[in-house]
Amino acid sequence: MTTPPNEGTSFDNRPSEGPPGDRSEGTVSSMEPRRLGWKIERRPHSSRAWEAGALLLALFAAFIVSSLLILSAGADIGESLRALVRGAFGSQNAIVETLVQSTPLIFTGLAVTVAFRGRIWNIGAEGQFFAGTMAAFWVATQFENLPPIVLIALVVFVGSVAGAFWGGIAGFLKARYGANEIIVTVMLNFVIMLILSFLLSDAWQDPNSFFYQTALMPESSFLPRLLGKGRLHLGFVLSILTAIFVYVLLWRTVLGYEIRAIGINPTAAGYKGISVATLTIIVLAISGAIAGLGGASELAGLHHRLRLDISTGYGFTGIIIALLGRLHPLGVVLASIFFGALVNGSLAMQISTGVPVALVQAIQGVTLIFLLTAEVMTRYRIRRVGADV
Amino acid sequence: MSDLLQTTFIISLLAGMIRIATPILFGAMGELVTERSGVLNLSIEGTMLMGAFVGFLITYNSESLWLGVLAAMVAGALMGLLMAVMASTLKVDQTVTGLAINLLASGLSFYLFRLAFKDVGSENLPSISTFEVVKIPLLSEVPFLGRILFSQHALTYLAFLLVPVIAFFLYRTKYGLELRSVGENPRAVDMKGISVPVRQYLAVMFGGMMSGLGGAFLTLASAGLFVPEISGGRGWIALAIVIFGNWRPARIVVGALFFGLIDSFQLSLQAVGVELPYQLLLALPYLFTILALVVGRGRSRAPLALGIPYNREERG
Repeated sequence: MTTPPNEGTSFDNRPSEGPPGDRSEGTVSSMEPRRLGWKIERRPHSSRAWEAGALLLALFAAFIVSSLLILSAGADIGESLRALVRGAFGSQNAIVETLVQSTPLIFTGLAVTVAFRGRIWNIGAEGQFFAGTMAAFWVATQFENLPPIVLIALVVFVGSVAGAFWGGIAGFLKARYGANEIIVTVMLNFVIMLILSFLLSDAWQDPNSFFYQTALMPESSFLPRLLGKGRLHLGFVLSILTAIFVYVLLWRTVLGYEIRAIGINPTAAGYKGISVATLTIIVLAISGAIAGLGGASELAGLHHRLRLDISTGYGFTGIIIALLGRLHPLGVVLASIFFGALVNGSLAMQISTGVPVALVQAIQGVTLIFLLTAEVMTRYRIRRVGADV
Repeated sequence: MSDLLQTTFIISLLAGMIRIATPILFGAMGELVTERSGVLNLSIEGTMLMGAFVGFLITYNSESLWLGVLAAMVAGALMGLLMAVMASTLKVDQTVTGLAINLLASGLSFYLFRLAFKDVGSENLPSISTFEVVKIPLLSEVPFLGRILFSQHALTYLAFLLVPVIAFFLYRTKYGLELRSVGENPRAVDMKGISVPVRQYLAVMFGGMMSGLGGAFLTLASAGLFVPEISGGRGWIALAIVIFGNWRPARIVVGALFFGLIDSFQLSLQAVGVELPYQLLLALPYLFTILALVVGRGRSRAPLALGIPYNREERG
């Protein structure tokens, strides 16, 4: 099979044998009269309204499936949903806690956004998040005598650097050897979890505990809390600042323009003199840095000690959030708050109706599949043909 | 180490290699067929996970291992069907779809597991009795080799027997030629009046079935229980092996055996009690996967139309 793909053909009016979706004869004008009927064709450009419609449709479909999942748990749908909403937004405390749950998701969602905008598939936000927590923990324990402001800045900075490094490895291997970044980042997730698991069972283990966890970090490295009540911490502010940073980076800088250019067409970008290899490393490093910053924020802001379950899959949820947020920082923040609310509310739901918290993970996957499907509809339209004979 | 111990060590190392290679080989051979049809299915990991879960659930409730295997195959094929609808019919970006299906499988299997086995902690995990090893008469009596090659699980024999079958199909049959052509030049195939979507649906569903089998092996032959994320990256390793194996059956077997060997090696070292932390040994297969991607990439060539949705109305 040496024939190149997509070689031109002049067979425009062959009778079609494919499924109905393939029946369209395209836009090339034909001399023969067309058969009367419906045809599905690509929209010239999809509108904002259609995109919003697709999103709502997907959320609605996901809602239906979620209801079925709740039913299958033998719980009452109305009661479960009320508990969910009450748990997420029912009181000032609930809202604050929803934002606490959203914070790590904003970081990982943004990390994935930067990479996916350049069609660089970073599946390693999870591992980069962990790299951030580990470096943050290490630096906090090494320099605990520094003044808090300096130490906090250092913790946050070193966390990002570690994430950038862990992501950069995948970027380097892709740029230098063409190693598929999806598989490499997935593998690096496993590797760093095992390294952490080793450290927690060995040098870093809290001497006063049976569990695989570190002792508390020095208090001088804790991120300050934002409100008098509740667990919301400086990390939330950092996550919003990062969202602004990502917006400026992608739409207001040359680098961002180049990232989006290789995302749209790497070959064309190459012709314009953009070095795709260098950019790949930079993108994965930036993406990793954001995820690592998220790790540092979560550790120093909330948990203050390192455990293997400090992330409940934030890196993977970040993929869903980035896609749900349409690879836009504002969308990411909104999607993160939505999922943060789900996580927070599901706890209340489990307590009052016994639906497992794991429902949230199932809903996330279902939502994403529906979103992808609904998006297709924004790209096509059904039109009556035959009148243009 | 005495001679006898050394022999035992080597036998268990090599027998382990073949056993551990089984699920990866299922996944990789399935993905080979899938990718030859031009569809990049990144959801092997999730499909394996679903196969592992469904197989376990059915066997737990029916006490029939083979019914579990069958159910895992059906679950895998359905996951493949979802992928095929998205990729071949709706023409959604295949990378994004594959990732999405993985996340779906991860969340869904976790939820359904919690639902099916309430009040389960890490101490009282539900379990089943696994497949027994099938000793091939006479052959398993052969010294040394018999205990390595012919004292394995039925599913292991199946995985390795399927390799020549799939190779024969791909390279020696008309349908195989058509399938490979779909992955290289779908337009040419389409012009001959052969349906591209039908070929892709069948290939992706077959691939899903194979991944489902790989998952069933994990719960029904290997572990005897299900834990979330039991697939442990094997689906991704299978993907890497397809690349490393340059989309050719023989090299894919070599790749799968290589990973079986590394994993078996680290298990043997753990069993012997080497002074290395087990976590670092466990990281070996993942590190070698990265290495395989780095070194195996140079000469390899993917099917030309891999990952590119075929649009009849778009002309190049």
